[in-house]
Amino acid sequence: MKTIKQLVSVFLLVALAPYVSSATEQAETKQPTLTAEEIVSRASLASYYAGADGSAEARMKIVDAQGRRQLRQFSMLRRNVEPGGDQDLMVFFSRPSDVRGTVYRVIKHPGNDDDRWLYLPGLDLVKRISAGDKRTYFVGSDFFYEDVSGRDPKADSHQLIATTPELFQLRSTPKDSKSVEFVEYTSWIDRKTFLPVKVEYTDARGKVYRRMEVIKTEVFQGYPVATEVKISRVTRGTYTLMQMRRVRFDIGLPQDIFSERSLRNPPTKWLKAK
Amino acid sequence: MKRFITEISLKHPKAVYVTVLLLVLISGGMMPFLTIDTDPENMLSENDPARVFHNRVKQQFAMYDLIVVGAVNTEETGIYNPDSLQALARLSSGILGIEGVLAEDQWALDTVDNITQEGQGEIGFEWLMQEAPVTQQQSYNVRHAVNRLPMLANTLVSGDGQAAAIYVPVESKDYSYRIAEEIRTLISQLNSSDEYYITGLPVAEDQFGVEMFVQMGIAAPMAGLAIFALMWWFFRSIALVTGPMIVAMATVIIVMGLLIGMGFTVHIMSSMIAIFLMPIAVVDSTHILSEFADRYRKGADPGEVIREVVGHLFTPMLYTSITSAVGFLSLMLTPIPPVRIFGAFIGFGIVLAFVLTIFFIPAYISRMKPETLASMQQAVHKMEDGGRIGRWLPRLGLSAVRYRKTILAGFAALALVSIAGISKIEINDNPVNWFKASHEIRVADRVLNDHFAGTYDAWLVLEPESEQESIQEFVNAAKTISEQAEAQNISIELPDFNGSTEAFENNLQDLAASLDDRLFDADEAEAAWLDKLLALVEQTQESRRLFLDPDTLAWISKFQESLVASGLAGKVNALPDVVKTVNRELHSGEDADYVLPQTPNGVAQTLLQYQSSHRPRDLWHFVTPDYRSTLLWLQLTSGDNSHMTEVVDFVNDYIEQNPLPAGIRYGWAGKAYLNVIWQDAMVSGMLNSLLSSFAVVFLMMLLLFRSFKYGVLAMLPLTLTITFIYGMIGWAGKDYDMPIAVLSALTLGLSVDFAIHFLERFREALRTTNSTSAALQVMFQEPGRAITRNAIVIAVGFTPLLLAPLVPYITVGFFLASIMAVSALVTLVLLPALLGNCWETVTASSKRNSG
Repeated sequence: MKTIKQLVSVFLLVALAPYVSSATEQAETKQPTLTAEEIVSRASLASYYAGADGSAEARMKIVDAQGRRQLRQFSMLRRNVEPGGDQDLMVFFSRPSDVRGTVYRVIKHPGNDDDRWLYLPGLDLVKRISAGDKRTYFVGSDFFYEDVSGRDPKADSHQLIATTPELFQLRSTPKDSKSVEFVEYTSWIDRKTFLPVKVEYTDARGKVYRRMEVIKTEVFQGYPVATEVKISRVTRGTYTLMQMRRVRFDIGLPQDIFSERSLRNPPTKWLKAK
Repeated sequence: MKRFITEISLKHPKAVYVTVLLLVLISGGMMPFLTIDTDPENMLSENDPARVFHNRVKQQFAMYDLIVVGAVNTEETGIYNPDSLQALARLSSGILGIEGVLAEDQWALDTVDNITQEGQGEIGFEWLMQEAPVTQQQSYNVRHAVNRLPMLANTLVSGDGQAAAIYVPVESKDYSYRIAEEIRTLISQLNSSDEYYITGLPVAEDQFGVEMFVQMGIAAPMAGLAIFALMWWFFRSIALVTGPMIVAMATVIIVMGLLIGMGFTVHIMSSMIAIFLMPIAVVDSTHILSEFADRYRKGADPGEVIREVVGHLFTPMLYTSITSAVGFLSLMLTPIPPVRIFGAFIGFGIVLAFVLTIFFIPAYISRMKPETLASMQQAVHKMEDGGRIGRWLPRLGLSAVRYRKTILAGFAALALVSIAGISKIEINDNPVNWFKASHEIRVADRVLNDHFAGTYDAWLVLEPESEQESIQEFVNAAKTISEQAEAQNISIELPDFNGSTEAFENNLQDLAASLDDRLFDADEAEAAWLDKLLALVEQTQESRRLFLDPDTLAWISKFQESLVASGLAGKVNALPDVVKTVNRELHSGEDADYVLPQTPNGVAQTLLQYQSSHRPRDLWHFVTPDYRSTLLWLQLTSGDNSHMTEVVDFVNDYIEQNPLPAGIRYGWAGKAYLNVIWQDAMVSGMLNSLLSSFAVVFLMMLLLFRSFKYGVLAMLPLTLTITFIYGMIGWAGKDYDMPIAVLSALTLGLSVDFAIHFLERFREALRTTNSTSAALQVMFQEPGRAITRNAIVIAVGFTPLLLAPLVPYITVGFFLASIMAVSALVTLVLLPALLGNCWETVTASSKRNSG
C-alpha cells in the first residue's frame, strides 16, 4: 500500500515538474515587473478586445433563490476601433421568443459615457438610452451592463496583493465610490491568459456579496475565451450562468453594419454564419 | 371515596406534602425552556388552507417581513426640503449597514430607481435620489420624480408630501426588535426636526412578546397578591390562608411547567393561564375554609371537623370543578390552536386544583396548631356576626323574596334589552388595537395611515385554474411530432414531462435550447422536424405567460381603478403600473403614453427594459418569472377585520360582474386577510363551544340534582349573566374580538358554580327546615357568605389584569370581574325570587326526589 502511494507521488512530481518550472520561469523571465495597472489593462484586453473583431452566441441561465429559471439567448457582434479604446458592439436577442428581435447597439468609449441605443420590435421603437451609470442590470440577469461591455480599467485604483505561480491577486477600489455599489473587489487573474478567473465584490459591511467565476475557458483561433462565466449574488442566493458558443475572431465585420439600420434589419449574414 | 381520600390526607400528611413538592419541582424545572410565540398567524393551524396559500404566495413573490420607518413634516414644504431629505438619506444608508437587514431590498428614496426621459428623448434608469438635495429646487425635483412613478407615489412618500417612508426588509422576524432599537438610535442621532415613527408587523409582534412577559411577570404575581390579601381579610390568619395559596401556586406551576415541558409555545392566550388558574384554584379551598371556620369550635378535633366539611362539600366542589373544566375544555372545539391549548390546560388545571385541594387542605389544616385555629375561628366569627357581608346578605335575600314579582319582571326586561344589544354586536378585531391607544405602535399606525395610502397589506393573487391541462395538451402534440419524425428515422428525444409545473417550465427551456443547438448542424430534412417542434415549444411557452397578455393586464388595471374608487383600498399596486410606466418613458414620457402595449411581445419587451434597471428584482413581487401568477398589493388604511371583509365582499361582487379572463382564478393572502380567516373560525368555533358546553353543563345539572326544574334553575343565572354581558357589549359598541369571544364559553363554566352551591345548599336546608322561607333564611347566612366571598375573590383576582399593558388582558380582566360580580348577584337575587315564587312545585319535586 505504502509503496503504491510513494510511487504515485513520485509519478506526480515527475509529471508536474515541467509545468511548475515553466510557470516559475515565465514569471521570472516574461513578467518581471508588471504593475497592477498593467495587469488590469492586459486583462481587459484579453477579455474584451481579443482579435480585431468577433462574433459569438451567448445563453444566460438566470436562476433565482428558489431555483426558478429564466433564459436569455443572444448573439453578439464586436469590432474594435482601437484595442483597449473605442469599440462597436451589438447584441441581438433571440430567446425567449417574445423578445426576439430586440437589439442593443453600443459604442463604447472607455473613460467616457457610452453611446447606447435599443430597438424593440414589439413596440416598433428605436430609442436612445441615456448615459447613466453602467451598473444597471443586464436584462434581468445577475450581470451588470458593465460585466458584458467591460469595466474601464482606469475607473478603479488597483493594487497587486499576491502572486502565485498561476495567479495574480489584485485588490481594486473605485475612484468614484458614488457610482458603484461595491466598496472594493478582489480579482484573481490567470498569469498565462490574463483572463480573470474569479472576482469577489465586497460591500460596506466587509462581506463578499457578489462573485464572478470563470467555470470554463476555451481557445478559439489562438485566443483564450471564458466560455462559461457564473455571477452569483451571494447574499440573495441567485446566480446567472452565461455560456458562450460559436466564438469567432477576425471575421472582417464591416464598419457599416454597426449602424441604426441594423437595429431593424439585423445583419443575418454575420449572425448566422457557420 | 371522599372519606378514603380525606383519611389518606389526614393520616399521611407528609406523603401528601412530598408528592406535591415533587410535582412542583419537576414541572418547575421545565420553565426555563419557555418559548414565546407572538405571531398572529399561529391563530390558524399550520396546515390551514388559507395559511398554506399565504405562505406559498409569500415565497412565490419573495415578500419579506417589513419594518416601516416613517418621517413626518407638516410644514409648508412637507418632506420635500433639503433638511428632511438629507436626514432621510442619512438614516436610510445607516439602516443599510445594520446586520440582518436585507439591504438590497430596502425601499427608500435613495435606494429606488427612477425611469425618465433625458436629453433628446433618451430613456434612462437612474437612482431616484443618489445624493440628497441641497437646494429647495432639487427637493422639488425629487417630488416631481416621485409623483410620476405610480409605484412610489403615496407609498414611499405620502400623497400630501408630508410623510416619507423607509421599508426595511428583515432576514428574520426574530431580529426585528434589535433592528428597531438600532434604527431608533440612528434616528436619535439625526438631529432632524421631523417626527419619526417605527411600525410594521415584525416590530409589533416583538413588542407584543416583550409586553406579554411583563404581563406574566407582573400581573400574575399581582393577582396572587391581591387574592392573598383578600383571603387574609376574610380569614384573618396568615397560616390558614397560606394553605389555599400553596394550592394555587402549585397548580399554576405544575400546569405551566407541563405546558412548556410538552413543547407548547406560550402564546397570548396561554400567557393568561396563570392569571386564570390562580383565582379558580383558591375557590374550593375557600369553601372548605369558610365552612371549617364556621364549624370549628375551640378544643374540637380539627380532623373530625375536616371530615365533616369535606363530606359535606365534596359533591358540589366536584361538580363545580367539572363544570368549570367543561367550560374551558369546550374551547378545544374551536379550530384555533392557541385557544385549544389554553382551554385544555386550564381545564386540566381546574381538575388538578380540585385534586390538590382535597388532598392537601385537610392535611394542612390538621397540622395547624390549636392556638392558630382558635384565633382564626374567633376572627371569622367576629367578622361574620358584625361583618358587612353578614349584615347585607339577609336583607338582600329578604328583598328578593318580598319584591319577587318586580325583580322577575326586571330580569325579564333586562333579558330583552340585552338580546336587543346582542343583535347590535359588531364582529371585528385588529391586532394593532391589542396595544393601548397611547402606545408608540398605535400612534405610529395612526399617523402613518393618516398620510399614506395605507400600511396594512392584503394580497390578491391571480393564477391559472389548472396547470395539467395545458401541460397535457403540449405533451400530446410534442409526442405526435416526435413519432412522425421517428417514422422518417429522425430521432427527437423528449424530456420526461411528468414532474412539477416548475420542472415543466425548465424542461421546455431545455428542450428549446437543445433543439436550437441541434438545428445549427442539422440537414434540411431533420431541420424541418426540429423547427416544427421548436415552434410548438415556443408557442406553448408564450401562451403559458398569462400575464403578458394586454387584455388580461387591462382587466387588472380596470379592477384596480374600481377598487380605489370604492374607497376601500388606499392604493392597489400591480403589474400594469410597471408596464405602463416603462411604456410611457419608452415613448414620449407624456401622460398620453401611460398605456399598455398592444401585444404580449410589446409587454415582454417593455418588462425586459424594466429588468435593465438597478432593481429588476422588484418585478418579481408582482409577477412570477414564468408570468403565470400575479400579485396585486392592496394598501389598506386600517387593519380592522371588518374593513378587510368589506374588501373581500367588494372583490367577490366585482368579479361576479366582471369575470376574470378565462382560465384564471383568484385567491387572497396577506396578514389582513389571514386575520379575517381566523376571526371567522373563532366566531363560529366559539358559538359551537358555547352551545356544547351549555348542553354538557345542563346535563350535569340534571345528573347532580336529578330534577329537571333544578337543572333549569341552575342554568338560569348564568344564562341571564351571559346574555346581559354580551348585551352590554353590543350596547357599548365594543367590538366582538378575540378576548370577548373566548370569554363566552368559559364564563359559563365559572358562573354556574354559584348556582350549584346555592341550590345544593338550599335543598339541604329545605330538607331540614321543610319550609322554603326558612331554607332561604339559612341560605343567606353561611352559604350566601361563601358564595359572596368566592365571587369577590375571583373578581378581585382578575382585576390586576387591568394594569396590563395590552388591551386583550384588560378586556379579559374587566369582563371576568364583572361577570363574576353580576352572576353572583343574579344567583343571590334571581334564585330566591324564583324559589319563593314556585314554592309549591319546588317543594313537591324536592319531596318526590328525596322520597
